[in-house]
Amino acid sequence: MSILVVLLSLAAGAYALAVIERWAVHGHLSLTGPAWAALALLGRESLLARKSDRLFFELGPVLLLVAGLMAVAVIPLAPGLIITDLATGALFLNAALAYVLVALIMAGWGPNGAYAMIAGWRFLGQFIAYAMLIVMPITAVAMRAESLSTVEIVASQEQLWNVLYQPMGFILFVVAAMGLAWLPPLDLPDATGELAGGVEAEYTGVRLAVLRLARMVIILALAGATVTFYLGGWLGPWLPPWAWSAIKILVVAAAMLSVGRYMPRIREARYLALSWKLGISLALANIFVVGVIALVVPI
Amino acid sequence: MRELSQYAILFGLSVGVFGLVLSLYGLARAIGRARAEPGKDVPATAGTLSRDPVWVRYHARYAGYALLFLAFDMEMAFMYPWAVVYREEGLIALLDMGVFLAILFLGLLYGWSQGALRRQ
Repeated sequence: MSILVVLLSLAAGAYALAVIERWAVHGHLSLTGPAWAALALLGRESLLARKSDRLFFELGPVLLLVAGLMAVAVIPLAPGLIITDLATGALFLNAALAYVLVALIMAGWGPNGAYAMIAGWRFLGQFIAYAMLIVMPITAVAMRAESLSTVEIVASQEQLWNVLYQPMGFILFVVAAMGLAWLPPLDLPDATGELAGGVEAEYTGVRLAVLRLARMVIILALAGATVTFYLGGWLGPWLPPWAWSAIKILVVAAAMLSVGRYMPRIREARYLALSWKLGISLALANIFVVGVIALVVPI
Repeated sequence: MRELSQYAILFGLSVGVFGLVLSLYGLARAIGRARAEPGKDVPATAGTLSRDPVWVRYHARYAGYALLFLAFDMEMAFMYPWAVVYREEGLIALLDMGVFLAILFLGLLYGWSQGALRRQ
């Protein structure tokens, strides 16, 4: 039952996010826009590039969608409203999202197009930049909660949300999450205007629709992870828990989507250097600081 | 048993995604077929086939980072179980992992000084 509810809210969330993306990126708000765009994509021809690697080309978007859905499966929307409350939830989220990299490289390699292939390998560089900054802040979250279960991580924030407990981890995690979801300004693998759409360049029609849907699911999963790990999940006064989850997730996702409007795209070399020189140092410091606080303060 | 059923749910969801995608493809097919024309299936390189073969060796200029990444990724595998029991173990856990992380961080600094943190 709760599985169905989560899946339906995921679909609704993906639609809401598509509306918000249109608003954040193009500046006009249209409630029916994404529905028409999706129908148009279904009606359009879905080309298969000549001499393509058919298996990789077809599997890329599907694997992306599977990865996003697996990540969503461990995100609690309310007490009891979760697909699977795994004891290793936070770790499972990492494992699922690691497949984003595999899927994008497959999608880039598959069509045998220069732009797509460069974009796919470029995402590997981006992965090396963001990956440690996803896992290290989560470690600090798990240290406080004494558990990897996402439900218990939310419960551990009853008295103080992690965004105040470990603000450095929050910032690192959000930026890394934007890199993972290749949102501008960290959109190296699709780099509109530079790589002609990158991994999306060769996808048309229904395959592109699946790819876009998968990306929406991944953005939702990451917004959900941010809310679960740092913003107290379903916790909040007055409103029912599911409403708090919905509001927080959509606000975080909208914020992630709109950053690209105000910042230029970052170069791969610069992103790598920043992540490793500044990011890793800060992430290690964060683990240490949280370690000391967790021993001294009992909450 | 409960854990097993959770993984069964996850497996079912993955299979369900394939079902969803196939039904979307079916829907697109039902809307209509496109006319087959020559030259439509050229990959996006300004309308011509690219002069050079595309599947070539890509120069991964982030190789230095990638090696460091391996070291850090291994370390993270140890960090998760440590993080769960951290508060139970107390100060001794902080010291244990502190020494480990300090050595790793020194490795990062050494790599930095040797120019590994650079796009080559």
